[in-house]
Amino acid sequence: MNLLGTFGVVAALAGLAFGLPAVDRALSAERPLQAGVAVDVGAGVTVVPPPGATLDVTGTRPGDSMGSVFFRIGAVQYRIAVRPFEGDLETAAAQLRQRITGNRGYQVASAQLAVDTADGLAGLQGGYTAPGRGGRYAVFVGDRRTIEILISGNDLDLGRTLPQIEASTRTLRIDGTAK
Amino acid sequence: MIADEVRPGRAAALAGVPAFWVVAALLIAGAVRMVQITGRFVTAYPIATLVAVLLFAALAVPFWLVVQELDFLEREPTELLVLAFAWGGLVATSVSIPGSTALENLVAKLGSPQLAAGWGAALAAPAVEEAAKTLGVVAIVLIARQQINSVLDGVVYGAMVGLGFQIAEDIVFAVGSVALAGQGDRVQPVITTFLLRGFLAGVWSHTLFGALAGAGIGYLVVRRDRGLARRVGVAALALLGAWASHALWNSPLLSDGLGNGAVALLAVLVLKGLPPLLLILWLVRLAHDREADYYVARLATLGDPELITDGEMKVLGSGSARASARRLAGERAGAAGRHAVRRLQRAQARLAVELSREVPTASLSCEQIRVQRQVLRGLGHPEAIAGPRSWRHTASTVATTLVAIAVLWVALSALGGA
Repeated sequence: MNLLGTFGVVAALAGLAFGLPAVDRALSAERPLQAGVAVDVGAGVTVVPPPGATLDVTGTRPGDSMGSVFFRIGAVQYRIAVRPFEGDLETAAAQLRQRITGNRGYQVASAQLAVDTADGLAGLQGGYTAPGRGGRYAVFVGDRRTIEILISGNDLDLGRTLPQIEASTRTLRIDGTAK
Repeated sequence: MIADEVRPGRAAALAGVPAFWVVAALLIAGAVRMVQITGRFVTAYPIATLVAVLLFAALAVPFWLVVQELDFLEREPTELLVLAFAWGGLVATSVSIPGSTALENLVAKLGSPQLAAGWGAALAAPAVEEAAKTLGVVAIVLIARQQINSVLDGVVYGAMVGLGFQIAEDIVFAVGSVALAGQGDRVQPVITTFLLRGFLAGVWSHTLFGALAGAGIGYLVVRRDRGLARRVGVAALALLGAWASHALWNSPLLSDGLGNGAVALLAVLVLKGLPPLLLILWLVRLAHDREADYYVARLATLGDPELITDGEMKVLGSGSARASARRLAGERAGAAGRHAVRRLQRAQARLAVELSREVPTASLSCEQIRVQRQVLRGLGHPEAIAGPRSWRHTASTVATTLVAIAVLWVALSALGGA
């Protein structure tokens, strides 16, 4: 009885630690998107996804005060996150770079370029390298929020998709107020 | 049936129980996983990690003492309390991290990302975490069934599992906030997390939820005078209550607040946290009184005022009355009197447990009681009875409450509530 109960405990733990993730993996996370229709990132921010992108719902959490959205364009990952922020653009960029380099093997390029959105939201963008992958980052600050963008993939895929992703990034808009 | 319910047995030698080795293996696996999870934080943010560990370890001390004191009369073995704490901090956490993430993903996949953003934390985390923690109490039952003699024992082990979970989770959150801040190895995010999760959310957190679920397991195991269906039903209800309390706390309800400022934020915290807190405290009180009545009844059979007087029997079953007796001894006979009463009460509790175990009369531990009785007589305070409620004690209680509110206020203001 004791041993049977112990196996029951182990089985229940295994169900939680491995069973649930297995069920999660068995269900597709990707959802098709309507071309040209803006997607809610959260905290009143929207973006028009690149053509051919799909939405990965595991990385998409459009909340009231903060949020995130995760697009896939083939093997390229395109993530946007918005959260409350009180500092300026340079501080936001420095913090994002710090977080990127906090991952083992990640390095950021020294140069940053000024970018903006169609609505005139000012931002900074740069590049980073990771083991087996490359990437771009961008950060925008407006209306007491920071919008961070991370794009990653291999060089070939990135070269093919970056123009569409950069065009998508320019569609970022702060449409509403964050709660 | 009360006697059967609370009568303790001898603790089984842990090493001789196969379940112990399985649990030990789970603890090692959990420890390895937690080191993997936190390892990169330690490397990247050594100072912040050290501060987080020290702060939350210090926070665990008063929680531990309070939980341990709940079962004054029949104290649980330290090795089992440590095991329960370790289960919460190592096994339940390492299982909950992938489990909760997967369940929240399923909410997003089967519902919508909007639903997951708003309610994911309320639906997924309590379901996985409360189950993983409750399994820790079940593991204690499997290892040392004879130590679970009352519903209160289930409360104590459940609270200990919850405390271990709470401390480990708080440390992970604190160091995670350092990484999210992107400002290097700074301790400010750790302090903020400590104020938020330690002070503001600490009271109505995992320790409380774990205690409720543990009470259910305690009832299931010891109330054999009830039918199996009823016992299973009560255990399921307790687990559901723990889940519901946790879900309410994590839910977006009242997330817009009741206005601005520290008072409004405090009101939200109280509205979401206080109902489960009061319910669980009431249940703990019931279980405590039930156990106390049983042990005091055992002592009453002695009919020996040298070992315990009628006045001391009234005191022994209540934590506040025991404290009052120690205060009175301190006022009348100084620190020596207070210490002697404490030792007398511990010895009387030990005797009560021995009586319930039907230890032969000749082997009962009466010597320590007689020694302390002599000490008290020598100090002119022969009986460890509770004193009248003094204005000094009332003033001290009011002052402590005011200080607690002031600390809460400062914490809320520091976090931007004011």
